[in-house]
Amino acid sequence: MLFPTIDFAVFFMVVFTGSWLLRPHRVAWRVFILAASLVFYGWWDWGLLYLLLLSIGLNWLFGRLVHRALTPDGDRTPASIWLVRIAVVANLGILGYFKYFSFFVTTITERLNSLGISVSTPVLQIVLPIGISFFTFQAISYVIDIGRGHWRQPLPLLDFAVYLSFFAHLVAGPIVRASEFAPQLDHVPDPRHVRSAEAFMLIFRGMFKKVVISSFLATQIVDPVFRLPGAFGRWEVLWAIYGYAIQIYADFSGYTDIAIGIALLLGIQFPLNFDSPYVATSLQDFWRRWHMTLSRWLRDYLYIPLGGNRGSKLFTYRNLFLVMLLGGLWHGANWTFVAWGCIHGGYLVGERVVKERWVGHEVGLPPRLVTALQWFLTFNVVCLAWVFFRAQSIGGAFDVLWQVVAGSGTDSGVTLLVILVIVGSVASQFVPESVPRRVELWFGRLAPILQIAGLGVGLLLIDALGPEGVAPFIYFQF
Amino acid sequence: MTTPGRPGSPPVRPPGERQEGFVRRVLLRPFRSGRPGTMPAGLVLVIMLLGLSLAMVLNADATLRKSNAKGDGWRNGVASVIATVSDTFQFTFARSRIDQALGKNQGTRIDAAELVRRQQEAEAAQQQADALEAARRPPVIAAPTPAAPVHLWVGGDSITQTLGSSLQRVIATTGVFTSTLDYHVSTGLARPDYFNWPEHLVKDVVPKDQPSILVMMFGANDGQNMTDLQGRGLQRGSPEWLTEYRRRVAATMDLLKSPTNDRLTIWCGPPPMGPGTKVHGMDEINHIIWSEASTRPWIQYFDTWPFFSDTNLQYTLEAPNADGVRRVLRQKDDVHMSVVGADRLSWALLDRISRLVDLSAGHIAPPPSEVAPPSIVERTEIPPTMPGAE
Repeated sequence: MLFPTIDFAVFFMVVFTGSWLLRPHRVAWRVFILAASLVFYGWWDWGLLYLLLLSIGLNWLFGRLVHRALTPDGDRTPASIWLVRIAVVANLGILGYFKYFSFFVTTITERLNSLGISVSTPVLQIVLPIGISFFTFQAISYVIDIGRGHWRQPLPLLDFAVYLSFFAHLVAGPIVRASEFAPQLDHVPDPRHVRSAEAFMLIFRGMFKKVVISSFLATQIVDPVFRLPGAFGRWEVLWAIYGYAIQIYADFSGYTDIAIGIALLLGIQFPLNFDSPYVATSLQDFWRRWHMTLSRWLRDYLYIPLGGNRGSKLFTYRNLFLVMLLGGLWHGANWTFVAWGCIHGGYLVGERVVKERWVGHEVGLPPRLVTALQWFLTFNVVCLAWVFFRAQSIGGAFDVLWQVVAGSGTDSGVTLLVILVIVGSVASQFVPESVPRRVELWFGRLAPILQIAGLGVGLLLIDALGPEGVAPFIYFQF
Repeated sequence: MTTPGRPGSPPVRPPGERQEGFVRRVLLRPFRSGRPGTMPAGLVLVIMLLGLSLAMVLNADATLRKSNAKGDGWRNGVASVIATVSDTFQFTFARSRIDQALGKNQGTRIDAAELVRRQQEAEAAQQQADALEAARRPPVIAAPTPAAPVHLWVGGDSITQTLGSSLQRVIATTGVFTSTLDYHVSTGLARPDYFNWPEHLVKDVVPKDQPSILVMMFGANDGQNMTDLQGRGLQRGSPEWLTEYRRRVAATMDLLKSPTNDRLTIWCGPPPMGPGTKVHGMDEINHIIWSEASTRPWIQYFDTWPFFSDTNLQYTLEAPNADGVRRVLRQKDDVHMSVVGADRLSWALLDRISRLVDLSAGHIAPPPSEVAPPSIVERTEIPPTMPGAE
């Protein structure tokens, strides 16, 4: 079920009503939300529900076993450590099968064939279950946190099932931790104080980003250029690259905005997932603003276990690079994602080296100019990496980049509207957070009838400005 | 509801104030809550329900359009009812105006069948465009290595006998080719009743020999009358003859297209023939092959003409190679190539192949005594007739 559809609107009306009516009843509310979440997931493919249920059952069981293996003081034991490892391997095994099996088989077959060894492999049409990367990461974080002694008691099965399957974050995040979610299950929010203004604004902003901005840029410039870069001139390709940077931001952060808004209407608070990432003046800064819940997941469950920065500089650089490389692979089984991870990892390492060597040095330029140059460089490196992220193959990415260098410089078909949308979208990230906050407060003070009118007219405009039909969110594939 | 910020406390009405109606109290009055930006769940539900209903009514036309296009079943029925009501009360006016301004689809009563037909047309056009796009891509041949050489088939009429033998020798020096020579004397595309090349290529060469690269040459025997598909006789060189020959060339080229786009055909145009021979019209045949190949990336036209002509592109019996020594390029009949002529063409063909296939794993070192001088290059455009050509 996609958020910006009538199906979801009807679904949510029922869930909203049922949720607030059943909120005081501990078990009934949990059963209701779990059922609603399963319906939401099953709407895509009822046949894949088993996987979600398997993940719930398996990880809940691992959670209990790991907890039982800890000392009474919550300290780790060899048994608990091994159980966590088994749980992680089991989760990654399932994820790997669905996500990477075909990729590795194809790669190995091609390599052997290129060496003259003829290999025929069985053709497996593995359907990637939607959202598997997100709920698997959440499940892993739960088991690891128990193994680290962060939980006094593992969650009851029903609570864990609600946590892992909660429909608002199920298919594309944010990656919420059990420690953030579980306390909210026990805390019954006051039905007289639903944070509606903030929620409505988030939902509107998210829908506008997805339905209007993302779809517009995709159809107007990004998709045609990336499909056949050779048919476009240098400037069109360059704008398409910038356009994709905005498209993917609008698409993914739009989804997150809607998800956070919907959860908020049900009295559940999600962590922030995007914080104006394109204002970043370094790649490190970018990763503190882009897909923040994945960044901190990678930090806490990959970077720190790898040793983090508790070693030599080279050791830290290796860890940084590895984390970004694996972060790239998390997005999918394609060399393009490996390249994307390598660019980010390599640049992050480069940034560290430069900072460590040049910190405190005066470059003789005005600080504002230095900041502007840092922003320009960061933004363009991020855009360069997006080319690999978007392209179907490494060769396709180089085709796009080559066209920027060698394409004709005349006859740009980029419309003024496309340029305005791209520039405006980047500029909007520099708007202080206080401005949308003021709009929220203003909306919240409106008479209900005006809010109704605002909702109706807002949806009218979004539907009219968007294309016919809603494309799936980009991050659903991950 | 008048004091939503104070849960549990009953509404307090100052003395003398008139009791407000529900609509004014709940809907029209600016909302004040003890916590800014919040309101009771019940009122949120009312706002959402009415807001969504309003959006549904205002967007009724567009919703029905999308529903029609998708063939949405029961949703289509619901959308139709809402659109009827909205149209009756002119609620869709604003949306229609916006759509009009944006140049989008308008109206509600677009026939579902019409939408399906349009969609099918769009899909067919897309498929056609995709096929065209795929057809524009040159074949992809895996880079051969000594361990995994590429197989080359060379064939055609009797001229290919010398050319093929020479080409086999030249490509063998690279170490990354295997090859087959398959020539048939007195054959071409004019007399399929004598030897049917298209049939031979499709039934024998492609499935049995499985070449990744084909090098072929016809034409020297095609300067004769033909019959078309209806059995009518066509005078050699007449417009009808040229049309029929073009059709045969095109059909043969199409038959050589690999569905997996991993087969490359280098179709050599016939060289100029000596003035005393009875072989004419090679320039017209070259033009036909060149023009048909230009629309088919899996066929590469190779212009042999400059390799066997003088600086004025006229037939020459002998010419200097890259070492500056003049050598005889043709046999005594002024039609077939000498070994020297075949060698200089073979090295040129290998050079062309190396530009299409990554031969970096092979060894390519043409001796100057066997290759044409660098000044001899293929023409970029092949005219229908060459002045003075026989």
